[in-house]
Amino acid sequence: MTSAALFELAGVATTRGVGEAHVHPLSAVSATIPSGGITVVVGPSGAGKSTLLRLLNRMEEPTSGVVSLRGRALPMYDVLALRREVGLLLQVPTPFPGTVLDNLRTAAPHLSEADASGLLERVMLSPSMLSRDSLSLSGGEAQRMCLARALTLSPDVLLLDEPTSALDPFATAAVAEVVVRLVADGMSAVWVCHDQPLARRVGTHALVLYGGTVVEQGPAAQVFGSPADERARDFLGKLT
Amino acid sequence: MNILSAAAGARAVPLPSWWGVALTLLLVTVAGVVIAREQLGLERDLVIAVVRAGVQLIAVGAVLRVLFEHTGVPGSLAWVAGMVVLGGRTAGRRARGLPHSVAVATAGLLAAVTATLGLLLVARVVRAEPRVVVPLGGMIVSASMAGTTIVLARIKDEVASARALIEARLALGLPGRAAFQPHLRLALRSALAPTIDQTKIVGLIVLPGAMTGLIIAGVDPLQAIRYQIIVMYMGLGAASIAGLVSARLMTRQLFDEAHRLRRLTDSG
Repeated sequence: MTSAALFELAGVATTRGVGEAHVHPLSAVSATIPSGGITVVVGPSGAGKSTLLRLLNRMEEPTSGVVSLRGRALPMYDVLALRREVGLLLQVPTPFPGTVLDNLRTAAPHLSEADASGLLERVMLSPSMLSRDSLSLSGGEAQRMCLARALTLSPDVLLLDEPTSALDPFATAAVAEVVVRLVADGMSAVWVCHDQPLARRVGTHALVLYGGTVVEQGPAAQVFGSPADERARDFLGKLT
Repeated sequence: MNILSAAAGARAVPLPSWWGVALTLLLVTVAGVVIAREQLGLERDLVIAVVRAGVQLIAVGAVLRVLFEHTGVPGSLAWVAGMVVLGGRTAGRRARGLPHSVAVATAGLLAAVTATLGLLLVARVVRAEPRVVVPLGGMIVSASMAGTTIVLARIKDEVASARALIEARLALGLPGRAAFQPHLRLALRSALAPTIDQTKIVGLIVLPGAMTGLIIAGVDPLQAIRYQIIVMYMGLGAASIAGLVSARLMTRQLFDEAHRLRRLTDSG
C-alpha cells in the first residue's frame, strides 16, 4: 500500500555541460513519489529518467527547484547518511574486486558471516557464494550481490536504475522477485524501468517522463490503463 | 665527511676539446645517412634536434656559470623553483581534463623537492653550494615529474573507465576519498613500480649518470657509488612524495562538497 509523500520534486531542472554544449536533462519537473510500494519511472530514451533517479540520493544536483525527502529538502540531510538511507542499484552490475564477502563488507566492515549469509538468502543467492570471487559471478548473480551489498546498510528506500537491462529473462525475473519481496517487507522502491511489461507487473505507482518533464503520474493501474496526457498515451501505446 | 670530499682528491678532469665535440657531428651524419637511405622523412627533425640541443646546452652552460659564480645558494634555489614551476606545468598539462591539474602537479613537485633536497642540505649530506644544489634539484624535479605524470595520467584513466565502480561506492555512503582509494592505490603502484624496478637493476645494465660523471672525472668507482646511491634513493623518495601528494590533492579535486565525482572537462 502507498501512503504519504516520500519524495517531492518541485520545479526541478538540471543542466549538464557548459556554454553552447549544455543540455537540460530535466526541466520544470514537479512530482510526488509516495512512501511504500514500487514507483516505476518510464519514458523514452533520453527523457531524463536516470537523472531524476540520481537526484533522489544527490548523485546529481538540480540547477533550480527543490527535491525533498519526507518534507525536508535533501541538502538539509548529511549527504553520506542520506545515501545510506536511500540505496542505489546501478544499471550495470558493479562487483568490486575481491570475494562476495569483501563486497558485502564495503560499507559495513564489521558485517558477520552469518549476517552476510542472511543477506545473500534475502536476494535468493546461496550463502556458499560468500567466498566466491565476485568477478566470476554471472550478470544476474552479480546484480543480486550488488543488491545485497546495498542492503547491508538497511536502507528505507531503494533506487533502481534499469537494473535488469543487461540481464537475461531468468535473471530479470529473479531480481524483480527480490525487489517485490523487499517492498512487501516495508521498503519503498523507485524503479527506472525500460521494460514496460515488467513495469506494469511490479509498479504500484508510475511516473511517465517525456522530453525532460513529467507528463503523467499516479497509481500504476491508472497511468498504464488510461493516461490523460497525449504524449504519455502515445509512448505507452507504442509499447503495448 | 660529506660525499663531495670523495671528489676532492680527484685528478684534473680530462675534458674533450671543442674540436673533439665537433668531431661527434660525424656520428650525426651517420644518423642522417641512415635516415636518407631508408627514406624515413626525419631529416628536418634531425637537423632541428641537433642544432637545438647544441644551442640549449651552450645557453644552459653559460647560465649555470653565472649562477655558480655570482648568485650563490639563493640564486640556485630560485633556479630550482623555476624548474618546479616548469615541471609542474608540463606534468599537469599531460593530465589535461583533471581539475586544477597544473596546480596539483606543481604542489606535488614542490613537496618532493622541499622534502628531499631539504633533508640532504639540512643533514649536510651534500654541500649547500650552487654546483650541488642545481644539478641535484634538477634530478629531483625530473624524478618527481615522472612520478606525478604517471599518477595523474592513471587517475584520469581510472575516472574515465571506472566511473560506475566509483559511483557504486559513493552510493553506499562512502566519502569521495574512500570511494576512490582502490583506484588511487592502482595509480600509485603504476607510478612507483618503474622507479623501484630501475633501482633494482641500477649498475647491472647501465652505469647511471652521476656515477658515470664522477668516474670520468677521475673519482674512484667505489667512492663514486656513494653519490649514485644518494641520487637513486633521492629519486625514489622524490617520485614517491610527488606521486602521493599529487594523488591526494587530486582526489580532493575529483569530488565536490556532496561527494559527487566531477565530470572531466576538456580544459585543465
